[in-house]
Amino acid sequence: MERLVARRRLVLATGLIAAAVVIALLVSSNARHAVALIVAIAVAIVGVTTLAIRGFRQAHPVLSRATLTIVVLDAALFATYFFSSITNFNLAIGAAMSITLLGLSFLTGASGQISLGNSAFMGVGALAVAIWANHHTSTPMAVTLLIAVACGTLVGLLLGLPATRLRGPYLAGMTLAFAVAFTAIVNSFTSWTGGDAGLQLPTAVTPPHWLTSFFNAQTSILRVNTMWLADITIVVTAVAFFFMANLFASRTGRAMRLVRDNEVAAELVGVSLPRARVIAFMVSSAYAALGGALWTLINNSVQPPTFSLALSITILSLVVIGGIGTISGALIGGVIYAYSNNVISWFTQHTGINPQSNLASQLPGIVFGGLLIVTMLFAPMGIAGAAHRLRGRRRVHSPE
Amino acid sequence: MDPFLTSRIVSDILGGLTNGVIYGLVALSLVLVWRSTGILNFAQGAMPMIATYLGMVVFAHRLGYWPLVIVSIVAGFAVGGVTERVLVRHLYGKPEINPIVVMVGFLIVLEGVAAAIWSTTPRGIPNPFSPIDWQLGGKPIALSPFSVYEIVTALVVMIGVAVLFRFTKLGLQLRASALAPEVSRLLGVRVSRMLTLGWILSTGVGTICTVLVASNFFTGLTPQVMDGIFAFGFIAAAVGGLDSPVGAIVAGVSMGIVLQFVGDFVNSNAIIITALIILIVSLMVRPNGLFTKSTARRV
Repeated sequence: MERLVARRRLVLATGLIAAAVVIALLVSSNARHAVALIVAIAVAIVGVTTLAIRGFRQAHPVLSRATLTIVVLDAALFATYFFSSITNFNLAIGAAMSITLLGLSFLTGASGQISLGNSAFMGVGALAVAIWANHHTSTPMAVTLLIAVACGTLVGLLLGLPATRLRGPYLAGMTLAFAVAFTAIVNSFTSWTGGDAGLQLPTAVTPPHWLTSFFNAQTSILRVNTMWLADITIVVTAVAFFFMANLFASRTGRAMRLVRDNEVAAELVGVSLPRARVIAFMVSSAYAALGGALWTLINNSVQPPTFSLALSITILSLVVIGGIGTISGALIGGVIYAYSNNVISWFTQHTGINPQSNLASQLPGIVFGGLLIVTMLFAPMGIAGAAHRLRGRRRVHSPE
Repeated sequence: MDPFLTSRIVSDILGGLTNGVIYGLVALSLVLVWRSTGILNFAQGAMPMIATYLGMVVFAHRLGYWPLVIVSIVAGFAVGGVTERVLVRHLYGKPEINPIVVMVGFLIVLEGVAAAIWSTTPRGIPNPFSPIDWQLGGKPIALSPFSVYEIVTALVVMIGVAVLFRFTKLGLQLRASALAPEVSRLLGVRVSRMLTLGWILSTGVGTICTVLVASNFFTGLTPQVMDGIFAFGFIAAAVGGLDSPVGAIVAGVSMGIVLQFVGDFVNSNAIIITALIILIVSLMVRPNGLFTKSTARRV
């Protein structure tokens, strides 16, 4: 019976791919487009078919997570081809932000700690990329990103050491002090960091030739460039999310959740509390640094004052609104961040608030703060948690 | 005449003392809330800021300086009480990150609302004290009528809080309900009222501090006026121990003096960096603060 279902699925998938090939050949104007289209569709179909196999998720959790990542990645990359440059830019910013969010989400969700310094860790990554790129122009981008992550991890270790012995409020206050001190630290090393004015990347990130040749001559360079930036960011984001999903489910992740829920029990089963706390803090700062590093690539420059306490609070709000400790919550938060300015300016237009007024300029802070309070009081697990609960309820009502 | 009083070192000590009492007051207000309700109030700078705007700006045209101060303090009491009753009440007994997150949210809502109503332009508050340093033999001493006013007010508030907690029945009830709420309730203390009172007191202390800061000719009142000072106040409270009012004040004052030296002899960027290093080192040596008895938490 099982085998029959599997065979039927295989036939269906093959049929779909064949149909896709035919459609692609009919629709596409040249051979390259056709090949790209066929590959994209085939990956999606194979991925979805694999995920649909009964028991596959339980038997091969890592493999199924990888498949899911590839399917989502495939769809997202495919979509960037059609998006406008503005949408792609927003997408890139949102994806970079969601990496930072995931880091904080892990820290809070898995180990119950809270950090108000993640904007400063972002700043560390962002500056590290700019400084390195200015001194070593020939380093490949991937290596530069890894260096930025290493810097973030190191600073995280430095600040995380006291964190081993601190409880929530103390750690939050300490990281707040770090966020406040960040600009002063940057300004103490002006010759390296460029002070408040920041740094410019020596060369902008440009797409390779094979990608440029995909577009016809009328397409603007800007659109191609932003698409490439969005693609890079999305790929890095996918890798980061895949890694985190595994970490959540791993032995380390389980140990951290135990630390969060019951310190005594955790110690009794042999979990080292200081070690778990420091690792959580380091992972969180490494992710923040990666987000900041991508931010520099997208903007082509870095201004340290961007990474203020206000940004830290925004990061915290997005994590809470999206859903603490959930993978999907970080994605939701990233999307909200990318579009929050659009939504708020739409709101000011339609409610007739003068866009030059004080109220309009303060609206983002008020809205984020209000949402933060409301979410924490009424739905502490955020949008992802609420959605999860709704799905659970539906399952109860309709027994399968 | 006397070169000692105008020397660099004495100037730094006097200037540091003026800043230090402000840090001490913020730290004290944090400790008051922490001791009564076990919450680190991240809106401890913003709540008094709103109260000061309510008092100082709304009635600025009708009243003189001293009535305005009184109105501000009353507004501070009200803000503290209402916040506890409406917002904080739902946070008792929740995981410890919930109050942190909610108070951070409250902080940016208050700052946003204040900036939306009163704009971010600094507002000077005319007061009877001159900000110009006294002169001695043609050289300035780092002490002006205004800084004396600051120091004296801060001392009066600190002594007042100490007397209230140590020598009055109300103070005893406050301490009892923080230490053992169940027992206190059985003994007839209205614990819930005491918690509200803790917040009222704390915001009152914070408001006096904010009024002092805002009255300073060189700062004025802005929605974010307390942000930096809150960071220093928190560091002082954490170094001294969030449980210890004496520790908070001592740490605040000594930090003010140390940082003044750092600012004078190194540069202004080094001030907050030094404060951060002091915080990290002291938390690594004594995670519960220098002035609290350490309690065993490990099993």
